[in-house]
Amino acid sequence: MAADVHKKKSWEVPNGSLAPGDGQHAERSESPTPGLAQGTEPGAGQEGAMFVHTRSYEDLTSPEDGAAVARSPEERRGEPAEQSSMEQISKDFSELSTQLTGIALDLEEEMRPGKEGKLEPSPQTNRRDSVLSGKEEEDVTMDAWRMHRKHVFVLSEAGKPVYSRYGSEEALSSTMGVMMALVSFLEAEKNAIRSIHADGYKVVFVRRSPLVLVAVARTQQSEQEIAHELLYIYYQILSLLTWTQLNHIFQQKQNYDLRRLLAGSERITDNLLDLMAHDPSFLMGAVRCLPLAASVRDAVSSSLQQAKAKSLVFSILLSGNQLVSLVRKKDQFLHPIDLHLLFNLISSSSSFREGEAWTPICLPKFNSSGFFHAHISYLEQEMDLCLLLVSTDREDFFTVSDCKRRFQERLRRRGVHHALQEALRTPFYSVAQVGIPDLRHFIYKSKSSGLFTSPEIEAPYVQEEEKERLLGLYQYLHSRAHNSSRPLKNIYFTGPRENLLAWVTNAFELYVCYSPLGTKAGAINAVNKLMKWIRKEEDRLFILTPQTY
Amino acid sequence: MSGRRVDAKVVLLGQEGVGKSSLVERCAHRRFRPGPYQNTIGAAFVAKVMTVGDQTVTLGIWDTAGSERYEAMSRIYYRGARAAIVCYDLTDSGSYQRAKFWVNELQNCEEGCRIYLCGTKSDLLEEDRRKRGVDFHDVQDYADEIKADLFETSSKTGQSVDELFQKVAEDYVNFSAFQVMTEDKAVNLDQRNSPYFYSCCHH
Repeated sequence: MAADVHKKKSWEVPNGSLAPGDGQHAERSESPTPGLAQGTEPGAGQEGAMFVHTRSYEDLTSPEDGAAVARSPEERRGEPAEQSSMEQISKDFSELSTQLTGIALDLEEEMRPGKEGKLEPSPQTNRRDSVLSGKEEEDVTMDAWRMHRKHVFVLSEAGKPVYSRYGSEEALSSTMGVMMALVSFLEAEKNAIRSIHADGYKVVFVRRSPLVLVAVARTQQSEQEIAHELLYIYYQILSLLTWTQLNHIFQQKQNYDLRRLLAGSERITDNLLDLMAHDPSFLMGAVRCLPLAASVRDAVSSSLQQAKAKSLVFSILLSGNQLVSLVRKKDQFLHPIDLHLLFNLISSSSSFREGEAWTPICLPKFNSSGFFHAHISYLEQEMDLCLLLVSTDREDFFTVSDCKRRFQERLRRRGVHHALQEALRTPFYSVAQVGIPDLRHFIYKSKSSGLFTSPEIEAPYVQEEEKERLLGLYQYLHSRAHNSSRPLKNIYFTGPRENLLAWVTNAFELYVCYSPLGTKAGAINAVNKLMKWIRKEEDRLFILTPQTY
Repeated sequence: MSGRRVDAKVVLLGQEGVGKSSLVERCAHRRFRPGPYQNTIGAAFVAKVMTVGDQTVTLGIWDTAGSERYEAMSRIYYRGARAAIVCYDLTDSGSYQRAKFWVNELQNCEEGCRIYLCGTKSDLLEEDRRKRGVDFHDVQDYADEIKADLFETSSKTGQSVDELFQKVAEDYVNFSAFQVMTEDKAVNLDQRNSPYFYSCCHH
């Protein structure tokens, strides 16, 4: 294993040139063409991936084990509700070709700055400060409550409130009752409600017995995307309780008030919803790495690898919501969704800053029936470096804690501590480094590694709403590219404020944002340049040599 | 769960929001954070070196989450503990009832564990006496009955916090001199079974 690490280092691309250093990497450094095979695209790991391979929306197309609505795709296709929304979508798409210049007029309309902009409360206001102190919740009868862009509700099959993003669950119990009535009404007919589209709102239902998740959104996201977010909320709940326990509880008592068990976790769920509105990781179903010199990352990874213990399954070092290194047990793969849940858990609580946390955690995509125990700690008080050691043995705290100590010792001995600190000072790179004048921002995902890279969002996307709008555009392109009935490979979108390009192949996905003044030919030209740049920088932007214990 | 680098395992128990983490923060870092309440997830471990006479004792302090979600597995945090600081909020009688639950739990499962009752947020009473929700004498009687020590602390002002942990350390030194280490030797099969699949008797 260590030998591999060193072998890698001998491969260094001289600045700017893509000339392969030796035969081994010749195919790798070949110009990135559309025909690129998976595993050779920029960012692809050299020794296999760290993650389970995933497709966009796979959970929505393949029903969950044990879920009540486990129906075959044939059955679904026959549903009237589905059909009508499909008709709508295909109508949209009839205007769409793979060369979309200036077409999506409906989008432009959708993307117009909110007419109700003034009334919108900022997402940060009225958040619950405390689950205990008097619940400073919103009044659900007020207009401000109605104006939120996306409401999320979770209820039990008995119609009992479990979670509401805004407002107290109690005040919403009758609303949730109506939601459950809708679900039951259609189920009585051996049918299922998936969404309601009315008055600019999308009401999306996701049924994962014994829970029902509902979103009421007036964002530009597709139904699929909203459903995908609801699934994240479902997995978030599983990560706290396990699927087994959740089902056990409701088998024992159908009208159980699940809020008792989830008390204190509202903050985590709130944070997840906020994060999904800002962070493209969730949309891409991939993980972003902290830009780091390959030699430093290799040193970190091998230090992590050496600080192992029998019960350890994953050792994860992260900074903000970016991955620094991940070492896993042989043959055990992490699912990006599970890693996203871990990222969210850590970013939603400052309590990990003190001491060492030891907490049961279920990784629902890995195994939804049991708990791992996670050792969570920050390496240093003032440094944004969080170490997560996932163990199978809940009695193993001191062994795992010792792994942390050994890891830190190795880091110090290898002298990479300083380099790490330096890298943390600039956790994002600027798009200017690519050297393409019209280029504003991009997201590039390597499918085989499950990793993506993206520069810092810079001007003109300075304000929060602007950042969200940009992500909204990416979401739109992503949903069109991955639409299950009519997927697209190339999309060029000209909008009033920017032009965008999407390019989806078997090996990678690329979403690029340009200034509105450029031409399509220029944009395509720039893509080639951009791909070359990513190839040149790949050992800094990706983890090319994932390690196992 | 015992460790070489720790002399005595100390566990904090009590209803969520009574201020267990603040107590540890005050003891370990001598500070108080007024900010928004952050519930503990799982449990947090802090090692604190105390001096008793000419000896040093390392307390391994487990600050547990108060949420009911973790109750079924709380035993992994208090198993083998030499001292348990059972906290309740002086202004909240409900939290005192919850403290009694933890005392019962400890008496059933951890005989060798000394219990310290700790009424928190005493600074709130200084502002307004009428806020007291738990009578001092009632708790004192209860403490005598269960042979526990009683403290009323404020993590905000620091009142009695050091005394509490100092007493824990002293008692450990004084008592362990006479006691054979019995920690973690056997599993008692009569222990209460966990209501969930996550059995607390599993070793």
